[in-house]
Amino acid sequence: MSKTTTAKDGATLVVKQPLDLRDLVVRYGFIAVTVLFFIYFAATIPAFRQSSTMFSMLKFTSVVAIAGLGLTMTMVVGGLDLSVGATAGMAVTVSAMTMVIYAQQGWVAFVAVIVAGALIGAFNALLIVSFKIPDLLATLATMFLIQGLKLVPVDGQSVSSGLILRDGSVAPGKFTHGFLQINRGSIGPVPYPVLIFLVLAVVTWFFLSRTKWGRVMYAIGSNPEAARLAGARVGRYRAVAYMLSGVYAAVAGLILASRIGQGDISAGNSLLLDAVAVSLVGTSVLGVNKPNAFGTALGAVLIGILLTGTTMMNFPYYWQDVVKGLVLLVALVFSFTLSRKKQRFVAAVPL
Amino acid sequence: MTTTLKASRRKGILFLAILLAFALFSAGCSQDTGSDTTAAPATTADVGTTEAPTAAMPAPFDAPPVKIAVVQNSGAGDYFQQWTNGAKQQADALGIEYTWYDAQADNAKQATDMETAIGSGVQGIVVDHGQTDTMCPLINDALDAGIPVVIYDIAILECAPAAVQTQQSDASLADLSLGQMLEDIGKDQPVGYVNVLGIAPLDRRHVVWEEYVAANNWDQVFFVGEFTNAVATDNAQLVDAALKANPDVRAIFAPYDELTKGTVSAINDNGLADKIWAYGIDISNADIEVMTAEGSPWKATATTDPNAIGAAVMRTMALELAGQQVDRSVDFPGVLVTQQFLLDNNITNMVELRAAMPELNLADVQSADWIPAIQF
Repeated sequence: MSKTTTAKDGATLVVKQPLDLRDLVVRYGFIAVTVLFFIYFAATIPAFRQSSTMFSMLKFTSVVAIAGLGLTMTMVVGGLDLSVGATAGMAVTVSAMTMVIYAQQGWVAFVAVIVAGALIGAFNALLIVSFKIPDLLATLATMFLIQGLKLVPVDGQSVSSGLILRDGSVAPGKFTHGFLQINRGSIGPVPYPVLIFLVLAVVTWFFLSRTKWGRVMYAIGSNPEAARLAGARVGRYRAVAYMLSGVYAAVAGLILASRIGQGDISAGNSLLLDAVAVSLVGTSVLGVNKPNAFGTALGAVLIGILLTGTTMMNFPYYWQDVVKGLVLLVALVFSFTLSRKKQRFVAAVPL
Repeated sequence: MTTTLKASRRKGILFLAILLAFALFSAGCSQDTGSDTTAAPATTADVGTTEAPTAAMPAPFDAPPVKIAVVQNSGAGDYFQQWTNGAKQQADALGIEYTWYDAQADNAKQATDMETAIGSGVQGIVVDHGQTDTMCPLINDALDAGIPVVIYDIAILECAPAAVQTQQSDASLADLSLGQMLEDIGKDQPVGYVNVLGIAPLDRRHVVWEEYVAANNWDQVFFVGEFTNAVATDNAQLVDAALKANPDVRAIFAPYDELTKGTVSAINDNGLADKIWAYGIDISNADIEVMTAEGSPWKATATTDPNAIGAAVMRTMALELAGQQVDRSVDFPGVLVTQQFLLDNNITNMVELRAAMPELNLADVQSADWIPAIQF
């Protein structure tokens, strides 16, 4: 079963080990755990079996998963975008300002949010690529900047209809019906946020795993110098990864804004950590040992299943963090302890 | 080369994992910054007692279990731990089987929790706190699906008139404390005020303050206050500055115990405890200690017992399920606790206070002869 694949660009990519139990565990363990938990909850909790429960679980998961998919792309190029939560939070405030304070239509808010997300990504790219600030530090600074700056025009208040503005007048607009449909609408039984999540997951997977650009991004992540020598425009690819991450975070924020229905200033606070967690968990799926879109999506769904299941079994709230921590730990054990991929080149194309 | 690269990459991911663990921990620490007031620390949960009901249970309680969901914005912090404790014990006594959703102060998660609850086939839903704009459409979804909803402390009377809205009566709390202040200092006095506007319960208390100031010709010489992560300490500085400029005030109203504590410490620091009195709202073990300290200027406070409130909300759900809840709005009254009362009865903690003040117990509120009401 041992074979060597040679990719079109000539690099030797994958040297597979003969399959044994340990490899099976590393490769399929995570999926098996997900399925087992699903079966266990479905068998023991009648309410869990309802399709409405499944869809609201996926709906809740979609926000984290979408932010995680964006984050995954920055991880692929060897970085990490710590500003995704803040960007999503900013998206909530920008949506609310556009519709409530400036009384604009929902689509204007939609466009404003996406543009703002791309701009934040471009700002991150500027810091990282042009100013040569390490990814973690640059995006940490951006995170604080956005968290603070988004509150300046609204004086630190949550923006809801009827808000008293600085000049004493009452905010004229409200969240439009159309905008609220982003969260509340559905095609058949499938809510829009779940559709958006699925589409973005497939698009991201295709982009990272099935296109030349994606392969170059993995090459940059494993060895930027080698990628540069091979002719890749490293800076440009990293800039694109951060801009995409900003846009994805903005999409996650749009769903949040539509779900909350007001400019909640605390929105997105917990999103960064959850997104990092699902992306890290995703690295272990199928034993690929590197950030990948399928893994991130599955990691998000597994955590969603566990949170919904444990909630329905009436675990107290603090157990949710314990659950997330354990999932992450197990994933890391799969990746670091059980996996033996010494011969596997890190730049292998996943899946 | 590959090995070294891989090693450094692994170090990077390990670092991230540690960062994540640390951040998860710190996020957990910052959960209880809600706008709500504090009460006694529930280091060990209080266990209530029940009296046997005198009448047979009506439908649907004649065929237990009755299944409900509780959709809570945040269960963290002393106040909500006690509220949850009271509600759960009352539910157990009634034979109610509950699923408890806790959004950990995440408004978006509370929205999806509510959707899950509606779809899970429960007979009733209790919603505790949350944003009106977020929860109102979902509350109406539940009502449309034939599921009765009882909410605690969200303003929904206008947008979801078919739900039952319950709240602790901030107006009555402010009225009790200010009534005592009026009795102590009389009309036509210079007074100080410490409050933070924009937080719903504090806004409701503010309305009563304005009425008292106008009706009694009090001269409000200063109004300070800020909401931070260290309310008592930070407000002590503000009140200190205000007192240096206006040492002639007769009394200060600070309608939230953290604000009151800051006020009391500023009064003490300026050596004015014999001239200026403080009046507050809420009580906890720590507050009792401050109020009963020798020469303390904190003369009175008004409060409720969050355990009793949680239980009363659950009884409201039971009445609604049995079709016996008529009013769509229910206020839980507060009680006045004076410094004199605490000293006279040698009260040093919440347990002793509950024993000395049976009014804190709301067992008769929102009850019926078939309900085994829980007493704390």
